[in-house]
Amino acid sequence: MGISQQCSIKLKGHIEDADTRQKLSGATVFIPELNKEIITDQFGDFIFTNLCPGKYTIRVTHVGCETSEQLVMLTKDKHIDIDLPHAKNTLSEVTVSSQKSNSNTGFKKELTSREMDQTKGQSLAEALSRINGVNMLQTGSTISKPIIHGLHSNRILTINNGVRQEGQQWGNEHAPEIDPFIAGKLLVIKGVDELKYGSDAIGGVILVEPKSLIGTPGYNAEFNTAYFSNNRQYVLSGMFEQQVKNLPEFSYRVQGTFKKGANASTPDYRLNNTGSEEKNFSLTAGWKKHKFSTELFYSFFDTQVGIFEGSHIGNLADLQKAINSDQPASGFIGENTYKINRPYQDVNHQLVKSRSVLQAGHHKLTLLLAAQINERKEFDIIRNSTSIAPQLDLGIVTTSSELNWEYNKNPAFIQLAGISAMQQENQYEGRYFIPAYRSNNFGGFYIGKWQKQLWNFEAGIRYDHKNINSNRLLSGAVVFNKYDFSFSTIGSSFNAGYKVNKQWKINTNITLANRAPQVNELLSNGIHHGTATYEEGNILLRPEHSINIILNNTWSNKKGSVNFDINIYRNDIKHFIYQQPKPDEPVLTIAGAFPKMLYQQNDVLLQGIDFSSRILVSKQLNWDFKYSMLRAKNTDKNDWLIRMPSDRIQNELTYTFTDKNKFSKTYLSAELIYVSKQTRVPDEKDGKQDYKEAPDAYALLNADAGTSVLFNKTLVSFSIGIRNLLNNSYRDYLNTMRYFSDETGRNIQLRIKIPINNLY
Amino acid sequence: MKENIFKMSLLIISAVISLTSCKKDKAGEGNDEEVITTMNLKFTPVNGGTTIIFSFDDPDGPGGNAPAQNTISLTHGVAYNVEVELLNKTANPVDNITSEVAAESGAHRFYYEATVTGLVTFTNLNNDINGMPLGLNSVWTAGAAGTGTTKVTLRHYPGTPPNKETADLVSSTKSATDIEVIFNTTIQ
Repeated sequence: MGISQQCSIKLKGHIEDADTRQKLSGATVFIPELNKEIITDQFGDFIFTNLCPGKYTIRVTHVGCETSEQLVMLTKDKHIDIDLPHAKNTLSEVTVSSQKSNSNTGFKKELTSREMDQTKGQSLAEALSRINGVNMLQTGSTISKPIIHGLHSNRILTINNGVRQEGQQWGNEHAPEIDPFIAGKLLVIKGVDELKYGSDAIGGVILVEPKSLIGTPGYNAEFNTAYFSNNRQYVLSGMFEQQVKNLPEFSYRVQGTFKKGANASTPDYRLNNTGSEEKNFSLTAGWKKHKFSTELFYSFFDTQVGIFEGSHIGNLADLQKAINSDQPASGFIGENTYKINRPYQDVNHQLVKSRSVLQAGHHKLTLLLAAQINERKEFDIIRNSTSIAPQLDLGIVTTSSELNWEYNKNPAFIQLAGISAMQQENQYEGRYFIPAYRSNNFGGFYIGKWQKQLWNFEAGIRYDHKNINSNRLLSGAVVFNKYDFSFSTIGSSFNAGYKVNKQWKINTNITLANRAPQVNELLSNGIHHGTATYEEGNILLRPEHSINIILNNTWSNKKGSVNFDINIYRNDIKHFIYQQPKPDEPVLTIAGAFPKMLYQQNDVLLQGIDFSSRILVSKQLNWDFKYSMLRAKNTDKNDWLIRMPSDRIQNELTYTFTDKNKFSKTYLSAELIYVSKQTRVPDEKDGKQDYKEAPDAYALLNADAGTSVLFNKTLVSFSIGIRNLLNNSYRDYLNTMRYFSDETGRNIQLRIKIPINNLY
Repeated sequence: MKENIFKMSLLIISAVISLTSCKKDKAGEGNDEEVITTMNLKFTPVNGGTTIIFSFDDPDGPGGNAPAQNTISLTHGVAYNVEVELLNKTANPVDNITSEVAAESGAHRFYYEATVTGLVTFTNLNNDINGMPLGLNSVWTAGAAGTGTTKVTLRHYPGTPPNKETADLVSSTKSATDIEVIFNTTIQ
């Protein structure tokens, strides 16, 4: 068989509404592996040409229908018929059902499949930071959490496989407890759809969505491995899924990941005790017949993360000394080992969930039951070298239930509503950080989505009520007060989209969100060893009110070779909760005086722009440009907010080679990232606000190359990525380790992906 | 199919139950073993006499009520045997930290400094198991009458091995601060 013949496969298809048997024109058919998108014509037909043999995901979205996703094995020309929403391949339809066409629903950003592949083996936050407007808040190289438009932690909701993740997001060094290998898709959304999950998503919602279970009889397997040269980290991940031939209603999937990294190195020195180890697995079982489907999911996440010893501080004088030296003391650098010593964190998260969907006429009912256990142990440097006990042991158990209703008789007007309840119990042992507490939440929402010709409108409202009953015992000897809190919050959102013409779309969104203060903000009390501060909660805090306005414009030329996306936002937050240093009120302890940080509230204003463009310079050469800027002000004090991302520019050139012989999807890319110095920092005329001046601007050069090779019938992907190619020494304002050490140096990443398909 | 749904829901329920039942019974009792609330300095004249105690005492641990602190008051020209006692009063019964420091003597070291030269001189610091200075016991000699401050610092070597050396300064990067208390000091 000739080469040209090999990559000339046609995939034709026809899409119909399963209920009305109407031909669905204007449905989006997307192949993520190729980043190709086609809109169905007036007969509901589509055609992809010049495809190479291999396995492809076919994702179909259409107004008022569930998103359908299926895998297709191509060896010759093929025709597929897809029925929406009853397509037999949508065993577990994705969480954001009834979504509009991709770019027209406010802020919704998804990692492309290449970006997903390029970030295999990295943390969730690292992967998400490829999205324009998303940054990383780090504590060293091993702990990172996502920041969306300047906001992070409890201001962002993370939805793991449809369930609101209830982990421990109290501090900057508490990373989300999720294995990114679970995700088939990673998205950041803002706007009306966030009301499905809570009224408190002031910063937005992160969706971690697994692929749908296999829809046709047979099995799929995927094996991923990666190696990172800097810290000798290796990653092994495997997935197997099957639909049994003689039991077509039943499918299952088993997935697991193992990750282990040694001490990381900056260009000039290696940082002791920065290793990590992660063990995760998940099981999914699904049953679907006629109008009923149910799915059971269990996931286990366990990680041990070393904390750089040089950052564990005894008192303020020690901190000043560490900060004033250019590089960490000789005792804290130079070891190259996988061993993790104190101080370290050991975090475990387990989730079990069941989700059942019943389709009755145009009504769809979804019942979600979930239980989560999160256990966080922190092992400090201690006097007694033989002790193996943690110094802080927090355990949170959360059970939640949700009943959602969707009505889609008129595809142009869809209604959704839901009620939810959640119980949570936190217990602790050891060092006091947050109190033991019980919390009860209940809430409900209504969303309407209306589509008329070139316009689409969405509106939603949500109410939540939350009780916190704390059991505040500071120590065995002294009993402190117990405090109970009760908060009611309302969220609402309105979205309007207008298609000016085929190339130009405008979208406006206004969202009101309210976030009740968290337990740590109300009742934390104690020394923070990472920053040598005494943190004190404030029981007088009130909920934060946010009014977030986002204006989005997307434009592309007729050929689709020039694309622009600009996002302008303004987030007005009343009673924004933050930690205010109190330089005049040091807390005297036996280890000396610690500066006090008090949780308090001010009105703030966050305004910014995300701009991105994609230009196909030639058929092969693609230029991606991204710029993001944020101005975050405390309007009460007329001062800048601390720890906000500075301006960032990313340029990436990608050259895609023509498929040749057995090689396909071959590409070469170079990326230049420029991060400016954060000059907008709090004024220090009333006392010290930060220990060290913001670090200088830096530029990083990254490179990536990959290809897929067809071995027999298996399309194996190889790729190599080099981060910080020039081995630059730099520090990042958003990494707490900037006080102590440089960022990690050159890191060469090797990745192999082997998908195995056997469809009957 | 019904049967399968039934089986599956049983599975869910049992999984939820097993998850909730394996949680630990932590009543929310805070007990930070690492806290030192109290340092008692026991002064006994080398040539015999009554023992006087000067303390730094913060019985509720860091934060909360402010610690109570004595002024060290000594007689000029007198040499005192000084013994350090460390307690954690947040534990019930009270935890004796002195024995923990003694048990890990190779990873600890006390430093004594006076702000006014000659106010007090510090000698005869006892040694750890490796023959390096430890300072749980020492001799303080009061100089001429006057006032000033004395600083007591306990440094902890987190490394394994600790690499403690006699020449290490109080500001050594090999060690971190467990205690740093400054006492007002009067010599009469």
